[in-house]
Amino acid sequence: MLDRAFSPGDRGWGEESAVDKAFLIQFTGSMAAVAVLVGLAAWARIGRPSPGLDEARARDLLAEDFPDWRVDQLWIAREGRGALARSGACALVLIQVGDGYAARRLSWCQASSAMFRNGLLDIRLDEMAAPRAVLAFDNWPPKDLAA
Amino acid sequence: MDDIDPVGLAVPFFILAIVLELLLGRLGWVRARYEPKDTFTSLAMGLGSSVAGLATAGAIFAASLWVYQHRLFDIPMTAVWAWVLIFLLEDKTYYWFHRLSHERRFWWASHINHHTSQHYNLSTALRQTWTGGVAGTWLLWLPLSLIGFPPAMVAIQKGVSLVYQFWIHTEAIGKMPRWFEAVFNTPSHHRVHHARNPRYLDRNYAGILIIWDRMFGTFQVELETEPCRYGVVKNLATFNPLRVAFHEWTAMGRDLLKARSLRDFALYVIGPPGWSHDGSRETSRQIRARWAAAQGKESVSPEAKAETAPTPAAHSNSPA
Repeated sequence: MLDRAFSPGDRGWGEESAVDKAFLIQFTGSMAAVAVLVGLAAWARIGRPSPGLDEARARDLLAEDFPDWRVDQLWIAREGRGALARSGACALVLIQVGDGYAARRLSWCQASSAMFRNGLLDIRLDEMAAPRAVLAFDNWPPKDLAA
Repeated sequence: MDDIDPVGLAVPFFILAIVLELLLGRLGWVRARYEPKDTFTSLAMGLGSSVAGLATAGAIFAASLWVYQHRLFDIPMTAVWAWVLIFLLEDKTYYWFHRLSHERRFWWASHINHHTSQHYNLSTALRQTWTGGVAGTWLLWLPLSLIGFPPAMVAIQKGVSLVYQFWIHTEAIGKMPRWFEAVFNTPSHHRVHHARNPRYLDRNYAGILIIWDRMFGTFQVELETEPCRYGVVKNLATFNPLRVAFHEWTAMGRDLLKARSLRDFALYVIGPPGWSHDGSRETSRQIRARWAAAQGKESVSPEAKAETAPTPAAHSNSPA
């Protein structure tokens, strides 16, 4: 939509300044529009219902992303805001993203040795699209962890 | 006529339409789901895309003009037949551009942004790429100028297509009349395109006319029994627009460092998204095949299967 600035022919300094000014006005107006629309979206409260994960829901979500993987053990984070499952030598993690979830697989060693401080397990996923998973647990490693 | 910019003219309509969808969704009159952070990311991507486009717009325009100077025919911008022809040719070009953008990783790295929302609303339409100019898919439209369509005419028709595709990014509209669904791209068809269900992966690439998908075997109707789950195969765990814009490029770069041969290198760049040298990931085709095999194993028709709950995890431990 800003391509209109590029038309054939040379422009004088005055015209360049006018284009810069028009661009700034358009950009500022666009940012204001973004702020208003995001504000409206927050006011509307019409996100997906997200009551928090229970075990059945967590298993369903994991099955969507990892359909052929068995879940040996599953731990739901406090208030259902994420989950971690053990599947053999791997860990399957569900990360809450807004009112949705993202799932990732990593080695169990990586999950079990992640930093646990102040009730938060901080797993570094080392991925630009999913830098980390932070899950709230009462303790870690969990007491019911199978050998 | 050279100065007409359909997208620029439509921006106020875009904003009003989003406000309307939000209000009607709030009143419960239509189905519309908005998550504030997700909405911010979509709109920020749209704004960023306009700014990023400035970096390459001059080069693209110059290339179009250069090609037009070597045109085969003189096609008048004032002839009705010329507009009918460019409508069809541009829409077919869009189909192949869009298919390429999904089926080859280099171009997917640019296009994936548009699919990263787990929501499907009018703001999703504005979640546009920041790296389209660099990815070079604009080259696909140059043959139109070589044939003899003036670059301004091509640009206008591209704009018309983009404006058309805005309104189909909604859950507020169920299905259009049957004749319309048969010929045109609709909210229903495009919901399928944005879904990550294995059945719906890499389907419905159309811009305005859905006939191209029907002709080239990529059409999939939206099934009432299988609601769309939106997003990408590996959903993003971030709303940061910078991460959204560049994550697949970064992932591709990291994969290239792992390439063991020239073949690996080539396939990481122009192979299908999801390809990996060690088979540790899956392409869309592999996901669909695995899903289809699972359907067959259970001897249940797809429609009946879609009525059941999500598949429970099988007792195996194969790599996903």
